[in-house]
Amino acid sequence: MVRAFLLLALGGPGPGPAPCRVLLARAFAPPGTPPGTPPGSPPRQRLRRKEQLLAVARQVASHCHLHQASSGRPPAPPLPEDPPSLHNAPGGLFRLAPGDPFPQGTSVAWLAAPSLAFALVCDPPENLALAEGTLRHLAPRLLAALRPPGTGVLLRPDAADLLLDRLLPHGQLLFLSERFLQAVDRELSR
Amino acid sequence: MFSAAAESFLRQAREAQPEELQRFAARVAAQLQGPEPGPEAAACLQRLHLVVAASKYPRRLDGEIVGLLQKVLCSSKCPEQIQLLCAAILREMSPCIDLSLSCDNIQDTKLLSLVSSVLLAQGDKKAEVAAVGQRIVKVLEGRLPEGQSSRYLLPVLSNVISLSPEALTEEQTNVVSKKMADWLRYASIQQGVAQPSGGFFSNPRTRQPGPVTEVDGAIATDFFTVLSLGQYYTEDQWLNMQAFSMLRKWLLCYGGKGLNAPNSGNRSEMDESVMSMVSTTSTSSHLLPPKERLREKAFEYCQRLIEQSNRQALKKADGDLQKACLIEAVTIMDIICKQDSSYVYRAAAFLKVLHSRISGDATYARALLPIAQFFLNHGEMAAVDSDAIYKHLLTDIPAQLFHNASLAFEFVLFCKENSQLFTETSSIFRQSFPNLFKFLAWNSPPLISEFVDLLPFLLDAGTAIEIFHLLLDLPCLTAALDVQMRSTSASERASCDPAVKPATCLEAFRHPLYKSAFQYLLRIESAPEDPPERLIPLRQLLGSLASSPRVVQCADTVPVLLELFFSVVAEFADGPLINQLVVLLLQRSDQLYEIPAFKDDVHRVLSSQLVMLCKLHPALIVELSKELLEFSGTVSNIQNKEAVFTHVVWAIGEYMSVSYDKRCTVEQINRFFETLEAVLFEVTQVRPLASIPSYAPRAITVLMTALTKLAARSQDLIPRVSLFLSKMRTFLQSPAVTSVYCEEDREEILTRATELLNLLKMPSVAQFVFTPSVDVARSRFQKEVNDTLPSALRIVTRLLEPAPGFVPG
Repeated sequence: MVRAFLLLALGGPGPGPAPCRVLLARAFAPPGTPPGTPPGSPPRQRLRRKEQLLAVARQVASHCHLHQASSGRPPAPPLPEDPPSLHNAPGGLFRLAPGDPFPQGTSVAWLAAPSLAFALVCDPPENLALAEGTLRHLAPRLLAALRPPGTGVLLRPDAADLLLDRLLPHGQLLFLSERFLQAVDRELSR
Repeated sequence: MFSAAAESFLRQAREAQPEELQRFAARVAAQLQGPEPGPEAAACLQRLHLVVAASKYPRRLDGEIVGLLQKVLCSSKCPEQIQLLCAAILREMSPCIDLSLSCDNIQDTKLLSLVSSVLLAQGDKKAEVAAVGQRIVKVLEGRLPEGQSSRYLLPVLSNVISLSPEALTEEQTNVVSKKMADWLRYASIQQGVAQPSGGFFSNPRTRQPGPVTEVDGAIATDFFTVLSLGQYYTEDQWLNMQAFSMLRKWLLCYGGKGLNAPNSGNRSEMDESVMSMVSTTSTSSHLLPPKERLREKAFEYCQRLIEQSNRQALKKADGDLQKACLIEAVTIMDIICKQDSSYVYRAAAFLKVLHSRISGDATYARALLPIAQFFLNHGEMAAVDSDAIYKHLLTDIPAQLFHNASLAFEFVLFCKENSQLFTETSSIFRQSFPNLFKFLAWNSPPLISEFVDLLPFLLDAGTAIEIFHLLLDLPCLTAALDVQMRSTSASERASCDPAVKPATCLEAFRHPLYKSAFQYLLRIESAPEDPPERLIPLRQLLGSLASSPRVVQCADTVPVLLELFFSVVAEFADGPLINQLVVLLLQRSDQLYEIPAFKDDVHRVLSSQLVMLCKLHPALIVELSKELLEFSGTVSNIQNKEAVFTHVVWAIGEYMSVSYDKRCTVEQINRFFETLEAVLFEVTQVRPLASIPSYAPRAITVLMTALTKLAARSQDLIPRVSLFLSKMRTFLQSPAVTSVYCEEDREEILTRATELLNLLKMPSVAQFVFTPSVDVARSRFQKEVNDTLPSALRIVTRLLEPAPGFVPG
């Protein structure tokens, strides 16, 4: 299953002044504990969930920066108004080892936009090609729905949930053709 | 995009005090209890959500407001936005202690899905997962009221079975399997109609929808799948798409014998039952039990998808979907064959045809992995010769598509899944390891941790030497791949005049001088006999690319892999291999790619691993005395490779002794002594009227100590050493030296010289200290810092013998 979806602000590369921040996080599974340990009190479970997602976000930010550095091009300036076209946006895959931070190993698919990144945390049997495709459908729609940039993301969880409920319902990756996507867009605009 | 305004919002949300929060929550409650919560209520809920979400520490909300949120969530009068916000807040606070939410009485499927999302986030303390599962199946079984759609329910079910496969009884899984088989196979092939917009002026005449089309625009030839296109979709077509989306998970969970977790796809249970006869015909399929019938329909669906992937999609998104569908279809076929081996023959024949169709198409390369996995799992049973498939996968794909990061990642995961194949010496898998490293060379950050897992499977006595060279040349490989890529995309072939030296790397790629070196570096198969010395001129040429970011990222991975390499090799290496490695280590220490930080890191690793190898096989000091004499006698090594030099000298002092190797003769000790003495002399010479070069103080102290150790074993040498050591004070106090070495270093050197001198005044003590019996050396008194001194003597001479890893001062 897809354990979580993340939208984060990238911050600066390396241990610099601006850390990455999780702007939007949706978990589709409880945090999980190593086998043999009790789950803990509710506040602890919640804390564990938040920390796991933050740990993933840091890794995503680090991979984004490394990928951007290896391409040798300067970072794209953040486009203020129009949602950027993400057709050729950089993306990638990496693995999180068991225990770090989820009890079992997971794969992460990420997609970078100027100063932002999107990520899906997938359990092993998920179709990673489909996960990457889902990110590419989800990202521009989210950016369009969550205006104005910055505060929009923080204050409109309903708009984000509306999209996630259609394109990634309960963490289920969907095999959506272009026409199905149009149908989804039609429903959302109603 | 994350502006200062947003940053300050976040901070305000985090710093909101509990009393403020309670007041605000009360305000929200008032809004929600009003007749019709509107946009103002929504805005308040949004802010409340931010306050709760912004902090990872718990935000206590009154039980009353939590109850109100639940009530509003379930009330059908509320606008959807308000419901979404209530659910989001409740999920954000999960797990909640005072949640009384239940899905039992909810009829609306959309609302049921929303409420389920809150319940499933509670962590299953009160069997919420099972309750949700039961409710969903009940609704699916029954008849839905008008206007309700099942399509919101399948994703919930998918989530339920991921969290807790035991949530459904066998009867319930049979019910769902039956429905899924129908949804997959019998969805309508007519397009849906637009929802009528209504209104007085709308045209009441409904146009007949046409049939669905394939991705290339042709009319659909067979049953509906996710690759069938329509302007509008019917309910059963949505269910078709969703059923396929969760099919893999469902089959992994419930398709085999007994209950499996969705992640355990590797069980290869052969179903030897009577069903093997029945599956070959589909006419009697309606007589099959639900599980087997679903298997049959799923198999047909996958076959259809694979055929549909042969078409040229008109839209790019559909093309991408075709590839994802292909991967999924092959994987599901693999699972089906594991669960029922009677499908193997059909599948194998089909997939072989598929392979020949796509093997030349680079855009379908990712699909080659599940195909290969299928044949690895079932090829033997199908009596199919799949060697050509593996060969193509391992030799062509990495060489051509190393730059495709997603393919690289999945390829390496595939290798890890099948790591036992790489341990077979003569297999095509093992032979292709140089090709695999191309993935790492180009895509270092995401793949380094995977290679750390994979490397031990590639290493054995036969490949160790070649892999050693390969690791040291990994950044070179990155540079060479870069040149290769630019060369293949260069529009005109650079004319290469063999007489003229090439000016750029690109020209050199085809130049006869460098061509074979490039080919060796970029080889696709293991070539242990080829001498790696031919890479020396190439390494220099590629120096112009040493600062490229990708090369630097690759260089950063090498020290980690080297350490791993040695730790694995230490487990199986015998004396001759260790000797070979040490000789190569010394040679390669100045045949490294010219990236300064890289060279330093590699020297550091090589020097500490040299010590490890000496500990494993101390006799190498005697067996390799010629090489070691040469290395330690070259003064320039102290500047170029200080770490390696220091450790070599330390190792000589430590292991050049009869107690480690009976063949150690007095002549040998004397020879080493003379060599080291000459170096130390050179290093501590004060030339009048000339500035002296500065050498690392650590090298000087290690030389002094090594000489002392050797003298302790061949006591004729003691007077020479003592004389030398006593001259150190003069050396250190001369003005030329004081300007080059700082005071702390000079003091350290002097202290060490004095300690050694004192020790030599008691030759028998010195002998014992520096040449313990091997048992004592291995005893538990020996700390990691190689302190071989029994504690009593420490009191006497305060002789501490730090390992060369410590910097003095």
